[in-house]
Amino acid sequence: MKEPLAWYIAGPLIGLVVPILLILKEKQFGVSSNYRYIISKFTKNPAYFNYNNNSDGWQFSFAIGLVIVGIFYQLSGYEINGIAKLDQIDTYIATTEFYNLKNWAIFFFGGILIGFGGRWSNGCTAGHCIMGMSQLSKTSFIATIAFFIGGLIATYFIIPYLF
Amino acid sequence: MEKKFNLKNILTSIAIGIYFGVILTESQAVSWYRIQEMFYFKSFHMFGLLGSAIATGAISLWIIKKLKIKSINHNPIEVKDKPFQWKANFGGGVLFGLGWGLTGACSAPLFISIGLDWKIGLILLVGALIGTYLYALLKDKIPH
Repeated sequence: MKEPLAWYIAGPLIGLVVPILLILKEKQFGVSSNYRYIISKFTKNPAYFNYNNNSDGWQFSFAIGLVIVGIFYQLSGYEINGIAKLDQIDTYIATTEFYNLKNWAIFFFGGILIGFGGRWSNGCTAGHCIMGMSQLSKTSFIATIAFFIGGLIATYFIIPYLF
Repeated sequence: MEKKFNLKNILTSIAIGIYFGVILTESQAVSWYRIQEMFYFKSFHMFGLLGSAIATGAISLWIIKKLKIKSINHNPIEVKDKPFQWKANFGGGVLFGLGWGLTGACSAPLFISIGLDWKIGLILLVGALIGTYLYALLKDKIPH
Protein backbone atom coordinates (compact mmCIF):
# COMPACT_ATOMS: atom_id res chain seq x y z
CA MET A 1 0.00 0.00 0.00
CA LYS A 2 1.21 3.44 -0.91
CA GLU A 3 1.50 5.73 2.07
CA PRO A 4 -0.32 9.04 1.79
CA LEU A 5 1.56 12.31 1.74
CA ALA A 6 2.01 13.11 5.46
CA TRP A 7 -0.72 15.26 6.95
CA TYR A 8 1.73 17.80 8.34
CA ILE A 9 2.92 18.50 4.80
CA ALA A 10 -0.37 18.12 2.93
CA GLY A 11 -2.52 19.96 5.48
CA PRO A 12 -0.59 23.25 5.36
CA LEU A 13 -0.42 23.00 1.55
CA ILE A 14 -4.22 22.63 1.51
CA GLY A 15 -4.59 25.60 3.86
CA LEU A 16 -2.44 27.74 1.55
CA VAL A 17 -5.26 27.61 -1.01
CA VAL A 18 -7.02 30.21 1.19
CA PRO A 19 -4.42 33.02 0.76
CA ILE A 20 -3.56 31.93 -2.81
CA LEU A 21 -7.18 32.43 -3.90
CA LEU A 22 -7.55 35.70 -2.02
CA ILE A 23 -4.36 37.15 -3.47
CA LEU A 24 -4.58 35.85 -7.03
CA LYS A 25 -8.38 35.83 -7.49
CA GLU A 26 -9.86 37.92 -4.66
CA LYS A 27 -12.07 34.91 -3.95
CA GLN A 28 -12.98 33.06 -0.78
CA PHE A 29 -12.41 29.35 -1.08
CA GLY A 30 -15.41 27.15 -1.83
CA VAL A 31 -16.35 24.38 -4.24
CA SER A 32 -20.04 23.59 -3.89
CA SER A 33 -21.31 26.82 -5.52
CA ASN A 34 -20.37 24.95 -8.67
CA TYR A 35 -23.63 23.02 -8.59
CA ARG A 36 -25.67 26.23 -8.58
CA TYR A 37 -23.39 27.72 -11.22
CA ILE A 38 -23.65 24.73 -13.57
CA ILE A 39 -27.46 24.63 -13.39
CA SER A 40 -27.70 28.43 -13.80
CA LYS A 41 -26.01 27.97 -17.19
CA PHE A 42 -29.01 25.92 -18.33
CA THR A 43 -31.99 27.41 -16.55
CA LYS A 44 -32.90 30.46 -14.48
CA ASN A 45 -35.85 28.66 -12.84
CA PRO A 46 -36.44 28.35 -9.89
CA ALA A 47 -35.32 31.88 -8.97
CA TYR A 48 -32.37 30.44 -6.99
CA PHE A 49 -30.60 29.98 -10.33
CA ASN A 50 -31.38 33.50 -11.52
CA TYR A 51 -28.36 35.22 -10.03
CA ASN A 52 -25.22 36.97 -11.14
CA ASN A 53 -23.26 33.80 -11.78
CA ASN A 54 -20.12 35.59 -13.04
CA SER A 55 -18.81 35.70 -9.49
CA ASP A 56 -18.85 31.89 -9.30
CA GLY A 57 -17.28 31.30 -12.72
CA TRP A 58 -13.82 30.83 -11.22
CA GLN A 59 -15.12 27.82 -9.25
CA PHE A 60 -16.03 26.07 -12.47
CA SER A 61 -12.51 26.58 -13.87
CA PHE A 62 -11.15 25.41 -10.51
CA ALA A 63 -13.28 22.25 -10.82
CA ILE A 64 -11.95 21.70 -14.36
CA GLY A 65 -8.49 21.69 -12.75
CA LEU A 66 -9.69 19.02 -10.30
CA VAL A 67 -11.06 16.87 -13.14
CA ILE A 68 -7.73 17.22 -15.00
CA VAL A 69 -5.92 15.94 -11.88
CA GLY A 70 -8.29 12.96 -11.75
CA ILE A 71 -7.65 12.13 -15.42
CA PHE A 72 -3.90 12.43 -14.88
CA TYR A 73 -3.91 10.03 -11.93
CA GLN A 74 -6.25 7.65 -13.72
CA LEU A 75 -3.89 7.53 -16.72
CA SER A 76 -0.95 6.87 -14.40
CA GLY A 77 -2.70 3.85 -12.93
CA TYR A 78 -4.06 5.26 -9.68
CA GLU A 79 -7.06 3.31 -8.46
CA ILE A 80 -9.74 5.15 -6.55
CA ASN A 81 -10.92 1.94 -4.91
CA GLY A 82 -7.58 0.43 -4.12
CA ILE A 83 -5.84 3.02 -2.07
CA ALA A 84 -5.93 1.58 1.42
CA LYS A 85 -5.72 -2.02 2.52
CA LEU A 86 -9.19 -3.25 3.28
CA ASP A 87 -8.36 -5.23 6.40
CA GLN A 88 -7.08 -2.14 8.15
CA ILE A 89 -10.50 -0.68 8.58
CA ASP A 90 -13.97 -2.05 9.04
CA THR A 91 -15.16 -1.40 5.60
CA TYR A 92 -17.95 -2.97 3.70
CA ILE A 93 -18.32 -1.47 0.29
CA ALA A 94 -15.28 -3.16 -1.23
CA THR A 95 -16.26 -6.60 -0.06
CA THR A 96 -18.93 -6.65 -2.70
CA GLU A 97 -18.53 -6.17 -6.41
CA PHE A 98 -18.01 -2.43 -6.72
CA TYR A 99 -19.98 -1.84 -9.88
CA ASN A 100 -23.33 -3.21 -8.90
CA LEU A 101 -26.74 -1.64 -8.82
CA LYS A 102 -26.68 -1.16 -5.06
CA ASN A 103 -23.44 0.81 -5.18
CA TRP A 104 -24.76 2.91 -8.06
CA ALA A 105 -27.82 3.73 -5.97
CA ILE A 106 -25.68 4.63 -2.93
CA PHE A 107 -23.54 6.98 -4.98
CA PHE A 108 -26.58 8.51 -6.65
CA PHE A 109 -28.47 9.17 -3.40
CA GLY A 110 -25.25 10.21 -1.69
CA GLY A 111 -24.74 12.72 -4.50
CA ILE A 112 -28.24 14.10 -3.99
CA LEU A 113 -27.49 14.55 -0.26
CA ILE A 114 -24.19 16.28 -1.09
CA GLY A 115 -25.91 18.70 -3.48
CA PHE A 116 -28.99 19.38 -1.36
CA GLY A 117 -27.12 19.55 1.95
CA GLY A 118 -24.22 21.54 0.54
CA ARG A 119 -26.50 24.24 -0.81
CA TRP A 120 -28.82 24.29 2.20
CA SER A 121 -25.89 24.71 4.59
CA ASN A 122 -24.46 27.30 2.18
CA GLY A 123 -21.08 25.63 1.90
CA CYS A 124 -19.24 22.32 1.96
CA THR A 125 -16.02 21.01 3.47
CA ALA A 126 -14.08 23.59 1.45
CA GLY A 127 -16.18 26.69 2.16
CA HIS A 128 -17.08 25.84 5.76
CA CYS A 129 -14.42 23.47 7.19
CA ILE A 130 -11.39 25.06 5.57
CA MET A 131 -12.31 28.66 4.64
CA GLY A 132 -14.97 29.37 7.27
CA MET A 133 -13.08 27.73 10.15
CA SER A 134 -9.97 29.71 9.13
CA GLN A 135 -12.11 32.83 9.58
CA LEU A 136 -13.19 31.43 12.99
CA SER A 137 -16.77 31.85 11.79
CA LYS A 138 -19.58 30.67 14.04
CA THR A 139 -21.63 29.69 11.00
CA SER A 140 -18.92 27.39 9.72
CA PHE A 141 -18.32 25.90 13.15
CA ILE A 142 -21.97 24.79 13.28
CA ALA A 143 -21.78 23.47 9.72
CA THR A 144 -18.55 21.55 10.41
CA ILE A 145 -20.03 19.90 13.52
CA ALA A 146 -23.10 19.00 11.45
CA PHE A 147 -20.95 17.49 8.65
CA PHE A 148 -19.36 15.17 11.21
CA ILE A 149 -22.70 14.27 12.79
CA GLY A 150 -24.02 13.32 9.34
CA GLY A 151 -20.85 11.42 8.50
CA LEU A 152 -20.92 9.50 11.77
CA ILE A 153 -24.59 8.57 11.29
CA ALA A 154 -23.82 7.30 7.79
CA THR A 155 -20.78 5.37 9.01
CA TYR A 156 -22.27 3.70 12.09
CA PHE A 157 -25.97 3.48 11.34
CA ILE A 158 -26.38 3.26 7.56
CA ILE A 159 -23.35 1.69 5.87
CA PRO A 160 -23.24 -1.40 8.17
CA TYR A 161 -26.83 -2.18 7.22
CA LEU A 162 -26.30 -1.68 3.51
CA PHE A 163 -23.73 -4.46 3.13
CA MET B 1 -13.22 43.20 -11.30
CA GLU B 2 -13.00 39.99 -13.18
CA LYS B 3 -13.71 40.23 -16.87
CA LYS B 4 -15.82 37.63 -18.59
CA PHE B 5 -13.90 35.10 -20.67
CA ASN B 6 -10.45 36.23 -19.68
CA LEU B 7 -8.11 33.37 -20.59
CA LYS B 8 -5.51 34.32 -18.00
CA ASN B 9 -8.14 34.33 -15.26
CA ILE B 10 -9.46 30.95 -16.35
CA LEU B 11 -5.99 29.41 -16.53
CA THR B 12 -5.12 30.77 -13.08
CA SER B 13 -8.22 29.11 -11.62
CA ILE B 14 -7.50 25.85 -13.42
CA ALA B 15 -3.90 25.93 -12.10
CA ILE B 16 -5.09 26.48 -8.51
CA GLY B 17 -7.55 23.60 -9.02
CA ILE B 18 -4.72 21.36 -10.21
CA TYR B 19 -2.60 22.37 -7.19
CA PHE B 20 -5.45 21.58 -4.79
CA GLY B 21 -6.38 18.36 -6.57
CA VAL B 22 -2.83 16.98 -6.54
CA ILE B 23 -2.51 17.55 -2.79
CA LEU B 24 -5.93 16.03 -2.09
CA THR B 25 -5.05 12.98 -4.15
CA GLU B 26 -1.51 12.59 -2.79
CA SER B 27 -2.82 12.89 0.78
CA GLN B 28 -5.57 10.38 -0.16
CA ALA B 29 -8.32 12.70 1.07
CA VAL B 30 -10.14 11.57 -2.09
CA SER B 31 -10.23 8.00 -0.82
CA TRP B 32 -13.43 6.39 0.45
CA TYR B 33 -11.32 4.39 2.89
CA ARG B 34 -9.59 7.43 4.37
CA ILE B 35 -12.96 9.03 5.03
CA GLN B 36 -14.26 5.81 6.63
CA GLU B 37 -11.07 5.57 8.69
CA MET B 38 -11.68 9.13 9.87
CA PHE B 39 -15.27 8.46 10.91
CA TYR B 40 -14.14 5.31 12.74
CA PHE B 41 -11.44 7.40 14.49
CA LYS B 42 -8.88 4.81 13.42
CA SER B 43 -6.30 7.20 12.12
CA PHE B 44 -5.18 10.71 12.90
CA HIS B 45 -4.39 11.36 9.23
CA MET B 46 -7.58 13.16 8.14
CA PHE B 47 -7.89 15.07 11.41
CA GLY B 48 -4.28 16.23 11.13
CA LEU B 49 -4.92 17.16 7.52
CA LEU B 50 -8.00 19.24 8.24
CA GLY B 51 -6.62 20.72 11.47
CA SER B 52 -3.33 21.85 9.96
CA ALA B 53 -5.13 23.16 6.86
CA ILE B 54 -7.41 25.28 9.05
CA ALA B 55 -4.47 26.49 11.17
CA THR B 56 -2.56 27.47 8.02
CA GLY B 57 -5.63 29.23 6.61
CA ALA B 58 -6.23 31.10 9.86
CA ILE B 59 -2.59 32.22 10.19
CA SER B 60 -2.60 33.30 6.53
CA LEU B 61 -5.74 35.39 7.06
CA TRP B 62 -4.18 36.94 10.16
CA ILE B 63 -1.02 37.86 8.23
CA ILE B 64 -3.04 39.27 5.33
CA LYS B 65 -5.01 41.43 7.75
CA LYS B 66 -2.02 42.47 9.85
CA LEU B 67 0.21 43.42 6.94
CA LYS B 68 -2.73 44.71 4.85
CA ILE B 69 -1.58 42.53 1.96
CA LYS B 70 -3.21 43.51 -1.31
CA SER B 71 -4.39 41.26 -4.11
CA ILE B 72 -2.42 40.86 -7.32
CA ASN B 73 -4.65 43.59 -8.81
CA HIS B 74 -3.70 45.95 -5.94
CA ASN B 75 -7.12 45.75 -4.30
CA PRO B 76 -7.53 45.46 -0.55
CA ILE B 77 -8.44 41.91 0.44
CA GLU B 78 -11.84 41.64 2.10
CA VAL B 79 -12.99 38.48 3.82
CA LYS B 80 -16.72 38.23 4.36
CA ASP B 81 -18.51 35.92 6.76
CA LYS B 82 -21.25 33.74 5.36
CA PRO B 83 -24.69 34.70 6.75
CA PHE B 84 -25.46 33.11 10.12
CA GLN B 85 -28.36 30.71 9.49
CA TRP B 86 -27.95 28.04 12.12
CA LYS B 87 -30.96 25.96 11.05
CA ALA B 88 -29.74 25.79 7.48
CA ASN B 89 -26.09 25.36 8.48
CA PHE B 90 -27.02 22.52 10.79
CA GLY B 91 -29.79 20.83 8.77
CA GLY B 92 -27.93 21.13 5.49
CA GLY B 93 -24.71 20.18 7.23
CA VAL B 94 -26.12 16.90 8.55
CA LEU B 95 -27.50 15.99 5.10
CA PHE B 96 -24.20 16.89 3.47
CA GLY B 97 -22.37 14.82 6.09
CA LEU B 98 -24.61 11.84 5.35
CA GLY B 99 -23.67 12.12 1.68
CA TRP B 100 -20.01 12.54 2.60
CA GLY B 101 -20.07 9.43 4.80
CA LEU B 102 -21.99 7.34 2.27
CA THR B 103 -19.92 8.19 -0.79
CA GLY B 104 -16.61 9.16 0.79
CA ALA B 105 -16.61 12.25 -1.38
CA CYS B 106 -17.18 15.89 -0.61
CA SER B 107 -17.34 18.49 -3.34
CA ALA B 108 -13.69 18.72 -4.43
CA PRO B 109 -13.07 14.92 -4.42
CA LEU B 110 -16.34 14.61 -6.34
CA PHE B 111 -14.81 16.52 -9.25
CA ILE B 112 -11.50 14.63 -8.97
CA SER B 113 -13.44 11.36 -9.09
CA ILE B 114 -14.94 12.39 -12.45
CA GLY B 115 -11.41 12.16 -13.84
CA LEU B 116 -10.36 9.15 -11.75
CA ASP B 117 -13.40 7.04 -12.51
CA TRP B 118 -15.93 8.84 -14.70
CA LYS B 119 -18.72 6.34 -14.01
CA ILE B 120 -18.69 6.98 -10.25
CA GLY B 121 -17.87 10.65 -10.72
CA LEU B 122 -20.69 11.41 -13.12
CA ILE B 123 -23.26 9.54 -11.02
CA LEU B 124 -22.14 11.65 -8.06
CA LEU B 125 -22.25 14.88 -10.07
CA VAL B 126 -25.69 14.15 -11.53
CA GLY B 127 -26.90 13.33 -8.02
CA ALA B 128 -25.44 16.56 -6.64
CA LEU B 129 -27.04 18.61 -9.42
CA ILE B 130 -30.42 16.97 -8.79
CA GLY B 131 -29.95 17.65 -5.06
CA THR B 132 -29.20 21.30 -5.80
CA TYR B 133 -32.27 21.54 -8.01
CA LEU B 134 -34.42 20.00 -5.28
CA TYR B 135 -32.99 22.53 -2.84
CA ALA B 136 -33.93 25.37 -5.20
CA LEU B 137 -37.48 24.01 -5.40
CA LEU B 138 -37.84 23.60 -1.63
CA LYS B 139 -35.76 26.61 -0.55
CA ASP B 140 -38.71 28.70 0.67
CA LYS B 141 -40.33 25.79 2.50
CA ILE B 142 -37.37 24.72 4.66
CA PRO B 143 -35.94 26.67 7.61
CA HIS B 144 -32.95 28.94 7.17
